[in-house]
Amino acid sequence: MGTDPQVREVRLSRFERLPWRRIILLALGVTIAATVGFGAYRTLTLPEGQRYSVSAWGDFVVLGAAQGSIYALIALGYTLVYGILRMINFAHGEVFMFGAFGSYFFASAYEESGFLERQPVLALAIILGVAIATSVVVAVLLERIAYRPLRGSPRLVPLITAIGASLFLQNTARGFFGSQTRGYAKPDFLSGKWEVLGVAFPRVRVVVFLVACVSVVLLTLFIGRTTTGKSMRAVAEDSEIASLMGINVDRVIVITFAIGGVLAGIAGVLFAMTFEAVNFYMGFQPGIAAFTAAVLGGIGSIAGAALGGLTLGLLESLGPSLILTGYHVPSPFQLKPAFTFLVLVLVLVFRPGGILGAGEAEKV
Amino acid sequence: MDPIPVRSAVRAGVVGSLVLVYVALVGLIERFADLKLVGEQVTLGRLLLFLPPFAVAYVVARPRVVAGERRVAGPRAGLVAGAVSGVVTSAVFGVAVVLADRFDVVRIRHVFIAATPGLIDFVTFERGVVVGIMILLVLGLASGALGGLAKTGDRRLTRPLAAGVSTVILLGLLQRIVPIAMQELGIEPDFLYSPRTRSLTWGGAIGLLVLAAGADVLWNRSGPETQRRIRATMIEQPAARVGILLIVLAVLVALPLLLGSVISQVLGSVMIFVLLGLGLNIVVGYAGLLDLGYVAFYAFGAYMMALLTGATLNTTTGSSAAAFSLDLNFFIAIWLVVVLAAGVGLLIGAPVLRLRGDYLAIVTLGLGEIVRVLTESRWLQPLVGGPQGMRGVTDAAIAGYSFRNPQHFYYLALAFVLLAVFVSWRLAASRIGRAWNAMREDEQVADAMGVGTTRYKLLAFAMGGAVGSLGGALFAVQIGSLTPASFQILVSITALAVVILGGLGSIPGVVAGAVVLIGLPGLLREFEEFRLLIYGAVLVAIMVLRPQGLLPNVRRMRELHEEEEAQDEWVHRFADEAAAAAAVPGGTLGVEEEDLT
Amino acid sequence: MRKRKLFSLLALVAALSLVAAACGGDEEEPGVTGPTGVTATGPTAPAVDCDADPFGCVEVSAGEPIRLGSLLAISGDVAFLGTDSNHGIELAIDNLDGALDGTPGQLLGHDVELQQEDDGCSAEGGQAGATALVADPSIVAVIGTSCSSAALGVADTITSDAGYLLLSPSNTNPGLTSEEAHQPFYARTAHNDRIQGAISAEFVYNELGITSAATINDESPYADGLAAAFRQNFEALGGTITAIEQVNSADTDLGPVLRSIAEGEPGLVYAPNFPPGCGLSLIQGADIMPAGTTYMGADGCLETSFVGQVGDPPADYYASSPDVTVFQGGAYYADEFLPAYEAQYGTEPTSVFHAHAFDAANILFDAIEAVAVDDGGTLLIPRTALKDAVLATSGYEGMTGIVTCTPLGDCATDVTIGIFKYPNWPVEGGEKPTDAVYVDTKSLADVA
Repeated sequence: MGTDPQVREVRLSRFERLPWRRIILLALGVTIAATVGFGAYRTLTLPEGQRYSVSAWGDFVVLGAAQGSIYALIALGYTLVYGILRMINFAHGEVFMFGAFGSYFFASAYEESGFLERQPVLALAIILGVAIATSVVVAVLLERIAYRPLRGSPRLVPLITAIGASLFLQNTARGFFGSQTRGYAKPDFLSGKWEVLGVAFPRVRVVVFLVACVSVVLLTLFIGRTTTGKSMRAVAEDSEIASLMGINVDRVIVITFAIGGVLAGIAGVLFAMTFEAVNFYMGFQPGIAAFTAAVLGGIGSIAGAALGGLTLGLLESLGPSLILTGYHVPSPFQLKPAFTFLVLVLVLVFRPGGILGAGEAEKV
Repeated sequence: MDPIPVRSAVRAGVVGSLVLVYVALVGLIERFADLKLVGEQVTLGRLLLFLPPFAVAYVVARPRVVAGERRVAGPRAGLVAGAVSGVVTSAVFGVAVVLADRFDVVRIRHVFIAATPGLIDFVTFERGVVVGIMILLVLGLASGALGGLAKTGDRRLTRPLAAGVSTVILLGLLQRIVPIAMQELGIEPDFLYSPRTRSLTWGGAIGLLVLAAGADVLWNRSGPETQRRIRATMIEQPAARVGILLIVLAVLVALPLLLGSVISQVLGSVMIFVLLGLGLNIVVGYAGLLDLGYVAFYAFGAYMMALLTGATLNTTTGSSAAAFSLDLNFFIAIWLVVVLAAGVGLLIGAPVLRLRGDYLAIVTLGLGEIVRVLTESRWLQPLVGGPQGMRGVTDAAIAGYSFRNPQHFYYLALAFVLLAVFVSWRLAASRIGRAWNAMREDEQVADAMGVGTTRYKLLAFAMGGAVGSLGGALFAVQIGSLTPASFQILVSITALAVVILGGLGSIPGVVAGAVVLIGLPGLLREFEEFRLLIYGAVLVAIMVLRPQGLLPNVRRMRELHEEEEAQDEWVHRFADEAAAAAAVPGGTLGVEEEDLT
Repeated sequence: MRKRKLFSLLALVAALSLVAAACGGDEEEPGVTGPTGVTATGPTAPAVDCDADPFGCVEVSAGEPIRLGSLLAISGDVAFLGTDSNHGIELAIDNLDGALDGTPGQLLGHDVELQQEDDGCSAEGGQAGATALVADPSIVAVIGTSCSSAALGVADTITSDAGYLLLSPSNTNPGLTSEEAHQPFYARTAHNDRIQGAISAEFVYNELGITSAATINDESPYADGLAAAFRQNFEALGGTITAIEQVNSADTDLGPVLRSIAEGEPGLVYAPNFPPGCGLSLIQGADIMPAGTTYMGADGCLETSFVGQVGDPPADYYASSPDVTVFQGGAYYADEFLPAYEAQYGTEPTSVFHAHAFDAANILFDAIEAVAVDDGGTLLIPRTALKDAVLATSGYEGMTGIVTCTPLGDCATDVTIGIFKYPNWPVEGGEKPTDAVYVDTKSLADVA
């Protein structure tokens, strides 16, 4: 200890020895919890005329869950690509939009001709098929033209390319289809509500939720049980070794994008039917929200994407209503994105890997 | 002198036709069908018909690698291959036109709004489908042949011609700007631009072509020698450097006087984005922190400047005072804004310190969105005016000399840009800059070597924020009125595009990026509708083809190409060995023909 | 050594700033207020006008055209608005020869040329376009802007500072003609949204008998202004506003907002936004709000894309809009103007404001005739006198109604607003009969 003349003993003062980061984090956490709790308390104890009824809370939950399901479906696409390529596919929102738009033309044609009324299930199947096909084509083209040449580049490069591709695709849709919002048809059996235990759920939103759940399950099974899924996991783990083991990495990547495209196409149709509108910029905001959801839940994990999506949807719905109302913030729902992103920042501060992610972000 | 396989040419032709169909369907051809470039016949729409076959042929004719050998095609092969691909392009496109015509254009128009009868008329040169397609085939043949020749022909001929043609096209596009500039300089533009059609006259166009081609020939002839001598002079004699700097400065100062207020206005906007680019360059280029929410600082700077200089809120009944405002002079307020923004940068940087690249990106994106939402909100309306915005930002007058006038504003902006350039330059060369380099290349190693990453990350955010808010504050002064619509995420993306296009970490690159991405669209207002489309395409193209940007920082270029250079070395060595092996009978490596990507 | 350099640089900058701040004068007064109230009825005044006029004269030599500028939204998503207004101006130029026959007429022996600029529906676009126009000394006056955000504090200030008259056919933001913010060279033939908000409120309260309402506006100044005007008038009538909400124009999920509003059980949801927001509030509202809730929008919603989006009405929906058909110029509009529009441009009008643009151009022409001086073949048009002449317009019978300009620039003094019930809307895709279910005329003095 005292042998090396270059080494000096340094005594840290008590100030320097304190775990500053932990203290600050703790203080921050307590403040936030207090703010949230207080806000919620005040909202729930508002005078009778101003308070939300129980059915309102129920509706908020249902609406949030339905919106969250759509986010989850899109987030699955993000998380799959990220898991394999470690890149954010910013243009995934546009893949979603093209699916919705592609199917719009069929949907509106069927509605006009009455086919949608006569054979709703068949019509819906065709519409879904078209949406899936369009989305897959766009996704695969995207990979081939914009991402494949950049494999192995520093992380910034594919990200910028993705942003550029997103801008390009959005405005291509605008050039092709015009900037007017189109109304999307909805088959009759999806309009209206279903009564369950006295609570009325809008049918289309229930369907969205169910489809999201089924998709998550199917996807997990696919990744876990099938050979292709195994290949995908292998490539996600280490693509060089995987290729040495005889896996065609290129093909696996294309399949990943394709699956993401399938999910996005389905999400596109469901989204269009829920909100009965399609336009060229409809992919942008859900795209960002879905990516936020994926990060929130822990990017790279399917359960994380699903959980993140659901959480985000609920946050968007309950955040303003539960917390901001208590502080008498005027027009709280307009602050919905601010609220959501604030939550994201906070989650990442405390759990850099997301909710289901590891406690600390990987440094690699 | 080997011929180019027909298969490649045909494949390229199909790709070309898809590009042509795309250009038609996205509305570019129809929109510019009437934009005359030269005389009455050469319209931008027709040029767009010509470009895809040309470009595709150019690419087809490039050198290929066969069995480890680099084979360059001769002019005849290039011409033939180009012609083939051009014809294929036109043929497939012609099929599409016929289908559109048969299929009842109205039905297609329901899907693709650009597929109007007018478009069909235009692409068939108003002579009906049959004759039109024949013309298209000839056009395709010609443009393809020219494209192939352009690549394989004698460099001494093709380069000047290319320079000449590009100059003619550029000046044709700038038909609304150049005449005004010429008039400001006292030159009558009639000989160059026909007052009737606003386009270039034939005489003027040919003259320009000759001039530009001649200039290129002269430059090339003296070229490398002169460039080397210029560079040597610059290195050896600091006096020369100062002289050149003074000349550049003089030109910059003289610009608004020479070019009039319309162009000065565009230049002012370019200056603001140069500032934004410089700030973002510090964060992304130097420190390697991906910030997608730079608009937050921009908005902060703008609104802060408004509040500090006594701007009022717009209301439906007129205006009202903001909940907090001071009435400071611009030259005091600006420094306050900068300092406060640095503080905000620290605040933003603190929670995101430990986040890795992509997470950082999405978080900063979110912060930008938060700021936008807050500026629009009713909650903060008593402070920043909500949807109606604010008005009455100071015009930074000194003794009556108002800076809101476009020409004067340019000088104000220029002063701050020069300051920011100086600061950036010194930062890059300083210890801080070196720390950022280390951090950017490998954070873990930098940490291990004792570079306090926390401190330097925070510094990057603070400095980047300060410069960005400077841009925002100047923007507020330029326009005088603020609405939340000016602070969308597009600003962040544009700033990032400016930095990327110019070259990460390169100050001249930021200027070049701003000129291309802000200056050109500002001058070419006709393209406003397609501006974002072009932005997106440019971003993708730059990243795939030239990720180091237009005016790259030498060090970064080396970083980006490290792997490629190592690989090239290996390939060359391998090729040499292969050639040696090929000379030995009975031992070849069956390397398939491959394109050089 | 380096630190010393840094400090000296800082000191230099600080010194410069202090000097600049010290020399800095007060804020410039916005524009120069020229003489007001000059009724330019008589013909030629002596040529000394030009020197007396603070902004000088426009000189139009013999054989040269009189050049007008237009600063309208001709690109992007609101291109339908600006292009439509440009058509109105062009038809006014056509009408100079007394007939809408496709051949442009002449004004005082000169052709009239229109220099079209794009306001981009944004402050930046407004600034760029206005700067381009005021840089051209041959431009007599500017008709624009389309969007209020391009004018507010931007285009109106630039043109006023240069003495160019800015006459808007479609700015409806109340702030533009308010006491505090009005620029001297700004006027508009479009209605002030305070009137539209007031008439909508009266319709809801008196005609529909609904006493409680909630408003949802997006982040555009247009929607914000209209919603505020509605609220003010509705409460003045005795109604209750149960909720004031704001959404983003790009939002698609209005579920939570509507559910929150539903708690207050308003009889009407007033959402004067743009498509797709208006359509979404109707479609989603019908699912979420109690049955029997009525919905209402404004002229931003009265569009073909709304029809395509909504289809069959799931609930009662009304939209207010300037009503040009129900007026003294009614027969002229239906028998001559509309056919000429369709003949020349191949489509029905894509917006209402072509009529306001037509009127604006005509008022301008009349004013030019009144103040222009013929100086040996060259036409001299003094700028301030022109502005005064326009602002002095009184009792002009235009297509949009009686046009009488106030000193603050509101020329649409008696504004007729019609309330239309969906799907009987006067747009392409609307079901006939497309008559308004309620019409009222008010002037600015009548409203809150």
